[in-house]
Amino acid sequence: MSRSYGRYALLRAAQALIVILLAYVGTFLVISVLPGDPITNMLRDPQNGLTDDEIQQVVAHYGLDKPVVIQLILSLGRFVAGDLGFSLQSNLPVSQLLGDALPSTLTLAGTALLLSVAIAVAIAYGVQYLPSRWARGALRSVPSFFLSVPNFVVGLVLIELFAFRLHAFTTIDPDSAAATLFAALTLAIPVSAPLAEVLIANLDHESRQEYALVARSRGLSQARLFARHLVKPSMLPAVAMIALIVGELLGGAVITETIFGRDGLGTVVQKAVTSQDVPVLQAVVSLAAVVFVTVNLLADLASPLLDPRLDATSRRKASSRRKATRDRDATSERKLEVPA
Amino acid sequence: MTSLTGLVTPTERIRAAGRSAVRVPPTVAIAAVVIVIVLLWSLVPWLFTSYDPSVGDTAEKLTAPSGAHWFGTDHLGRDVFARVVYGTASSVTSALVAVLIGLVVGSIIGLASGFLRGAVDVVLGRVVDVLLAIPSFLLAVVIVSSLGFQTINAAIATGVSAIAIFARLMRAEVLRARGSVFVEASYLQGGDRLHALLGHVLPNTYKSVVALAVLQFGTSILVIASLAFLGYGDPPPASDWGLLVASGKSYATAPWLIYAPALVIVITVLSVNRISTWLRRTQ
Repeated sequence: MSRSYGRYALLRAAQALIVILLAYVGTFLVISVLPGDPITNMLRDPQNGLTDDEIQQVVAHYGLDKPVVIQLILSLGRFVAGDLGFSLQSNLPVSQLLGDALPSTLTLAGTALLLSVAIAVAIAYGVQYLPSRWARGALRSVPSFFLSVPNFVVGLVLIELFAFRLHAFTTIDPDSAAATLFAALTLAIPVSAPLAEVLIANLDHESRQEYALVARSRGLSQARLFARHLVKPSMLPAVAMIALIVGELLGGAVITETIFGRDGLGTVVQKAVTSQDVPVLQAVVSLAAVVFVTVNLLADLASPLLDPRLDATSRRKASSRRKATRDRDATSERKLEVPA
Repeated sequence: MTSLTGLVTPTERIRAAGRSAVRVPPTVAIAAVVIVIVLLWSLVPWLFTSYDPSVGDTAEKLTAPSGAHWFGTDHLGRDVFARVVYGTASSVTSALVAVLIGLVVGSIIGLASGFLRGAVDVVLGRVVDVLLAIPSFLLAVVIVSSLGFQTINAAIATGVSAIAIFARLMRAEVLRARGSVFVEASYLQGGDRLHALLGHVLPNTYKSVVALAVLQFGTSILVIASLAFLGYGDPPPASDWGLLVASGKSYATAPWLIYAPALVIVITVLSVNRISTWLRRTQ
């Protein structure tokens, strides 16, 4: 990498780190400064059956007897050291709770990500190439329809149709492949809409470019032209959206997992909110911010590599690489590489 | 060209001009009608239904939609249509509150960082970064859990989670307007910064911000419905749209309890989004 790119990467990474720390501080303030003080309420709740000694212990652990600023610094210090604290509800370490829930949510969100890309590509392809004008117009309005349906309605309708009527899956076993697929579909539908919008616009733009015309005149079929030449450059601007999509997936998981009865991060959040389990909430939100910021950072660092035109800092480097690839195929062979 | 325009009589030309000036696509007209009906539901619900939303006839519980009960009845024999209509006020006003919070706070942040630049821009920029870094629904959930489970708090939470989007757009628009010739001209004529801001920059930003506000109104209806669905809004017997769907899902034999309020949400948001798209395109 060129030196200027290295400097750019370092600066972006430092900025990302600052945002993560600030997000932690912000969440801390929202949870602990706003009225209610859930931790003390929780502790005083006689149902928990905590003895005065135990209460003292927890209060001392969280530094609740100290001023907010001190609490914040202590809490931030623990976060940086990787200590997420203990759940007030189950007394388990928060890291263990999250670790147990993570695989389920990763499976769900990963499947949903793939599905949403597939749906978006299918819609964009249809809008571009369907033979009937009417069908193209109808398909064109699908994304805005997807954006108007609440996530929970999609989920309930899918369960009602495919679980109760067609028996394609059962909600009794939410982790089965079929149930996971439908839960992922619920999550994917609203996410696919903005992706489809971007793809439609880019595809429109790319298919009017000269290289597309040349390829057509060489006798390439429409489907082949689409798959070999148009998809990649149309997807490129969508890379910038990936962080937004990941955020949507994490937020949407709360509702989707609740509806389908999956035990993932979303369910953890839902339970933590109902029982005012502050350390868990704080940890999940911070984790979400870490994921969002990291993905955003990777997307930002990758886009100059994916599309040399975007990169003003390492133009010389990019142009030499472009020259090397031009002989093969100027537009379709841009390598999708991610910095290590 | 002259021979062609000569064929059209002046009155025809005027008529054509009039048509294009107020030309509203039919789908936008339908969307506007839907919004008007929804607003009327929230203002004067009693004009639209003779049933009481909280009193039911248990002899008529869980009946399917019919002429007497358009959306059927629930497990207590209450008319679902009446519950939807009476639930509109809180579902729609809370979305308005949310948009207002996002619009006002976001615009001020965007305006300040775009116009003042420098340190203000850097500090406010990080605040916006942080708001963007937390998934907006998760942020809304955390805020509402901290404020307490009420519909108004759900509205505030939804509004706060929308601040960043407004701030971003406003900043970009201010930067665009600030660099334009007419702002420069205003300075050259001796206008001060405040005059340039209020007289020239602000009026040139509002159009795209309004389009976003309309779009955000639709999104807020969805987010607030989702929060109500999870039980983070007012508890029953309130009948927020999301809450109606949530309580309806316990009765598998009465799918209209889910479908009726869900349909109302979808049609309302679809209409709002259609109008927003139209506003953006006609700029």
